[in-house]
Order: sequence, then C-alpha cells, then structure tokens
Amino acid sequence: MDEQKNGLNPFYEEFEVFSKKKEDGPLQYQFSLLAPNEEMAIVLAKENFFRREKAVDIWVVRRNAIRKLSQSEKESLKKLDKHYRETKGYADLNQRWRNFKEKQDNGTDEKKVEKA
Amino acid sequence: MSIESNKQELTELIYQLADDDFIHAHRGSEWLGLAPHIEEDVAFSSINQDTMGHATMYYRILSELGEGKADDLSHLRKKEQFRNAIILEEKNGTGEYLDSPNYDWAFTVIRHLFYDVAKKIRLESLKQSSYEPLADAARKMLTEQYYHLLHWKIWFKQLMTSTEEARDRMETAIKRVWKDFGGVLTLGPHAEKMVSAGLIEDEAALRERFIDQIQELFNEVNYSIDNEPLMIRGDGRNGEHTEDLEHALKTLSEVYVSDPQATGW
Amino acid sequence: MLDHLTFDQLSEEQKYDHFMDRINRDEKIEADDWMPDDYRIALIRLISMHGISEIMGALPEKEWVPKAPTLHRKLAIMAKVQDEMGHGQLLLRVAEDLMKPLGKNRDNIMSDLFTKRLKFHNVFHMASPTWGDAAIIAWLVDGAAIMSQTMMLDTSYGPYGRALKRICQEESFHAKHGESLVLSLAEGTDRQKQMLQDALNRWWDALLMFFGPKSKQETGHTNVDKNIKYKLRTKTNEQLRQEFFTKYIPKIELIGLKVPDKTVRFDEESNTWHYQDPDWNEFKQIVSGNGPKSDDRIRLRQSSYENTEWVREALGHVKTAVV
Ligand SMILES: [Fe+2]
Ligand SMILES: [Fe+2]
Repeated sequence: MDEQKNGLNPFYEEFEVFSKKKEDGPLQYQFSLLAPNEEMAIVLAKENFFRREKAVDIWVVRRNAIRKLSQSEKESLKKLDKHYRETKGYADLNQRWRNFKEKQDNGTDEKKVEKA
Repeated sequence: MSIESNKQELTELIYQLADDDFIHAHRGSEWLGLAPHIEEDVAFSSINQDTMGHATMYYRILSELGEGKADDLSHLRKKEQFRNAIILEEKNGTGEYLDSPNYDWAFTVIRHLFYDVAKKIRLESLKQSSYEPLADAARKMLTEQYYHLLHWKIWFKQLMTSTEEARDRMETAIKRVWKDFGGVLTLGPHAEKMVSAGLIEDEAALRERFIDQIQELFNEVNYSIDNEPLMIRGDGRNGEHTEDLEHALKTLSEVYVSDPQATGW
Repeated sequence: MLDHLTFDQLSEEQKYDHFMDRINRDEKIEADDWMPDDYRIALIRLISMHGISEIMGALPEKEWVPKAPTLHRKLAIMAKVQDEMGHGQLLLRVAEDLMKPLGKNRDNIMSDLFTKRLKFHNVFHMASPTWGDAAIIAWLVDGAAIMSQTMMLDTSYGPYGRALKRICQEESFHAKHGESLVLSLAEGTDRQKQMLQDALNRWWDALLMFFGPKSKQETGHTNVDKNIKYKLRTKTNEQLRQEFFTKYIPKIELIGLKVPDKTVRFDEESNTWHYQDPDWNEFKQIVSGNGPKSDDRIRLRQSSYENTEWVREALGHVKTAVV
C-alpha cells in the first residue's frame, strides 16, 4: 500500500463511502473514512454517516482503487457548445410548426399538417 | 400466565433484562471519546444508545406493571435491588472515566461480544413470551441486535488474528470474562417459575445455545476453552453485587438525586 | 481561458491567476485541484483546529454523559456528544487530505495536539463542574458554533463545505437539545435556576472569546482577512458576536437569567451591542494551552490514545489477512 511506503500507520487506510437512499435511486457519494480494512470500513460507515439519514445500501471503496481526473482532464470537461446534439439546439421547431398551422387556418391550400 | 399470580417472576425477569442493558450501556457510554479510533468511537456510541434505549423500554414495562417511574427505577434503587449480572458492572479499566481511565479495549470487545450473543439468544426466546408486552419489545430490539453482533464479531476476529500482543490481550480478556459470564446466563432464584409461566425458555437450553455459538466463533480463530462459563463472584440476579456497581450507581444518579424538590430535568 | 495549453503546462503564476479566477467566480476547489500553498496552509490551520475542537469539545460534555439525570437525558446527551465526535471525524478527514501531500496524517494531528502545537477553541479549555454547565454548553456554545459554521457553509473549499453541511444539519438537533435542557432548569426549583445562572456566569467571557478578537489590535495577528480573501468565510468576528447578542440576550432575559455584564446594552443609534470586552490576554493564554482544564483534557486524550496504541498497531497488520 502506498501509505506504508510513506511510512504512515497502515491502520489508516482511506475508504470512500457511497450509499443509496431508495431502492431505485442512484448511488451517491457520501464521505470518506479511515479504517484498517474493508470489513471494518463497512461497519464503521453505517454509524458514521447514516445515524439519521436513511440508507438501503452502502458501498465502501478503497480510495486507491479509484482513478480520478487530473486538473487538466477536468478542464477538458468544460466543453464547447455542441448544440447540434442537444434538444436545446432545436428550440425553433415550435415556432416553425406554428407557422404551418397559421397558414392552414388562413385557408391556404397547402399540404395538410398534422397537429404537433 | 396471569399477571396477578405470576407478578413476582414477571417483574424479576424484566428487572434482570432492564438492569443488564442499563449497566452494560452505562459502561459502554464511559468510553465515549476514548475509543481506539474516532470512527469507532462514533459506531460504539450508537450501540450504547441502542442498549440504553432497550433498558428504557424494559423500565417502562415495569412502570406499567406498577413498579414506579422509569427514571426512579433506574436512578434510585439500591445496589441490592439491582438484578444485573456482576460481569456487566465491572469497571472498564483501573481508572476513572475522567482521569487516566486506563480502559481495556480487549476486555470491552469480549464482554460486548459475549453479551450481545447471549442477548440475541434471550431475545429470540422472548419473542415467544407469554407476556405480550415483553414479546413485542423483544421483536423491536432484535432489529438492532444484528448490527451490534456484526460489529463485535469483526472486532473479535480481527484482534484474535492480528499481532501476538493483541492475541494475548484477547485471550486474557476471554478468561477474565468467562469466569463470571455465567451470571448473564442464569435466570436466578425464580427461574423455574419464569419458565413454567411461559415467560422464557429454560436456562439450560439458552445456555447451551450460547456455548454452541461461542464455540463456533472460537473455532474460526483457533481458540478453545475447556470449562463452562462460571459465576465466581456471586449471582447478581440474587442482589449480590460488587463495589463497582455501588460506584456506578452513585455516578449515574448524582444529578438526579441532587435536588429532591426537582420535578423535571 | 486555458486555450490549447493543458493545465500542467501553465507557469506557477498563471496557475495562481487561474486559481484566483476560480475563487472569484465562486467555483469550488477540490482536494486534488491545484492550490497555492498559502491557501492550503490557511485551510489546514482552519480545518484541523475546527476538527480537533470538536474532538476536544466532546470531553467537557462527556463528563455529564453517565451523570445525565434521566434516561431521556442520558440518551440525548450521548447522541449529542457522539455527533461531536462525528463532526471531528468529518473535519479531520478533510484536513488529512490537505495534509497528505505534506506527508502527514491523523497521527501527526494527534501529536500536534499533545504538544500544544495544534490549538483548539477556548471554550473547550474550561471546566464544566455542574449539570448547568452541560445545559449552557449545549445551548450557547453550540449556538455560537452554529453561527460561525453556518457562515462558512458557502466556503470556497468544496470538501469543507460538504462537511459543514452535514454538521449544520445535526446542529439543529443540538440547538433543540440545549434549549430543552436550559428550559427545564429555568422552569425548575430555585436551586436549579441558581445552577443555571452560575453556569452562565462561568461561561459568559468564554462565549465572547469564542468568536475571536475584534481586530489585530487585540491579539497582534488575525487570519480573518486572508480567510475572507479566499472566501473561506464571509463575516468578521465582531459581526458574528453581534449576531449572537441579538439572538441570545433577549432569550436569556426572557427566562429570568441575568447577563453577567452590567454594561451590556443595545445602542439603537449605531445599531450595535455595547459590552465589556473579555480579557484578550487571558484568551491568548487559554488557546495556547494554558487554560484551567487544558492540561487535564490533553492528558486524558493522550493517555487514552496511547492506551489503545496496540489496537491500531494490531489492525494495521491484518488488513489483508481477514475475510
Ligand atoms: Fe459540532
Ligand atoms: Fe454541536
């Protein structure tokens, strides 16, 4: 373990704690704790983070098993707008449908348009 | 069972259950802030709160049976009136909780583990009790018992299979607790009547289950013990107690008795 | 703003500017993000002191856990002190992650506490000789703590903010618990009322000190300015103290207690409370570990820590061996 390499007490391993509030809910990050191993981490997680809060499931993960983004990588998440692949890039559709509807109501004999 | 004709064995049994939980939770609560590890401190405290909560449920049942106010029962009775097992009143260590406590974690792990194994067996039996309020309380308490046991089993296994020093300390603690743990397993002088009234199963059956389960835990960590749990310092069910209980009662009732005129705290 | 450069290719100065931009845009900084040493040090100082104060704060109240007068009070104060240990857990985790790049961990925090290098809040150096003290602590010390913690909820450091959010949720229970204890004594016998008044008298100066000195003049230095620049906090010590007066002085008087400061009054014109300053030299002494109970409490924490060293030692070795 890298803690050991640093000469730190191996009793203190870092675990990240996740939980689910409802059966069909998403898994949520809660907090971290120090424990000597997984078994201990999971019993400690319950009372450290769910004394009042409800949980239907609890996960613990050794922190060193998690690959996180570096700061450069995080910066790269700040995307340029890609309107063409999102619904908000098509905000003009309603108006265009309405235009057709108006034309129809005004009696112009163009092709019929189904109601949107 | 009728409450009138079985009142004595009924209340005796509930006093045993209540006082065991109460004193045990009191000893546990003295650890608050002093456990080996901050995360453990928090977890341990939940267990003590649950156990103190269970004691409160029992004292309320006694109260409904006309024994007096729950707070009076827990804070005003004399040492001889307590029915808890002697091993549960024993101090956590040589010192006081406010000043160089010198508490023994191995002793605590063993005492709590053994107690929670015994308690679960007792609660399972009480689910069938002829006294419905007791059966109902037992069902509620059992929901919390699973976590307590899980917690102490993990501590037990890990300390028993770690360093030589830890193993030594744990074995010493087992021997120490074993010598008096018989006091938890007994139902005291009214045992027969309790059983014939259908309040709880008989002592021998409960005891056997306890020994089987402990044996299983011992096997997992390659440990064995020859004799059966003893009761060398006397029977708490019979009002026999040590100085440690006297001392604990003085501490836990200090404020409650400090103003006899007070009607609320 | 990074153009085509990746973050790692920036110069230290550019990194600093980028960092300050983020602070000014109210972005949250995370543990693995780049941060100037100055910021890291300020956070470590603030959060390790806050965290260890929670842990040391458990001790004066812990004295009253076994002695709490009724079953209900025993349960409630256990839950309350447990929460304080839990707050210590959350905050120390945040501090530990910040200290990790410096090669330090929880053991170092503990030894810094034992050698008095790591300070904790003045209030937790004080004695709590009666049940009345347990009531005043839960009502007013927690009340003061709630104010300063709420003020920091929006801190620029993400992990600290998340810890504070959890903490503040639990503090609302502490506030009720404290009020309940105080009201029971205030409704009670003359002796109970006196016990409460005595406790208030004992705690008043410590409560004023809790928020820290007004400005540099009182103690020579203060970290408040830096903490405001980095958006770790939003209010000054004096602003918080004034809010405390506004919230609690009317309540204290309502239940028949007397504020032990004859000069205390609200000045309508300047819209501020006037009060007798506590002795700030004494404050300096107390927080450097020379308060009435500093040595006892540190000794208690240290002896229990050393006493359980074998446990940490043992489990440090089983990590892979079991199940
Ligand atoms: Fe707190
Ligand atoms: Fe609090």
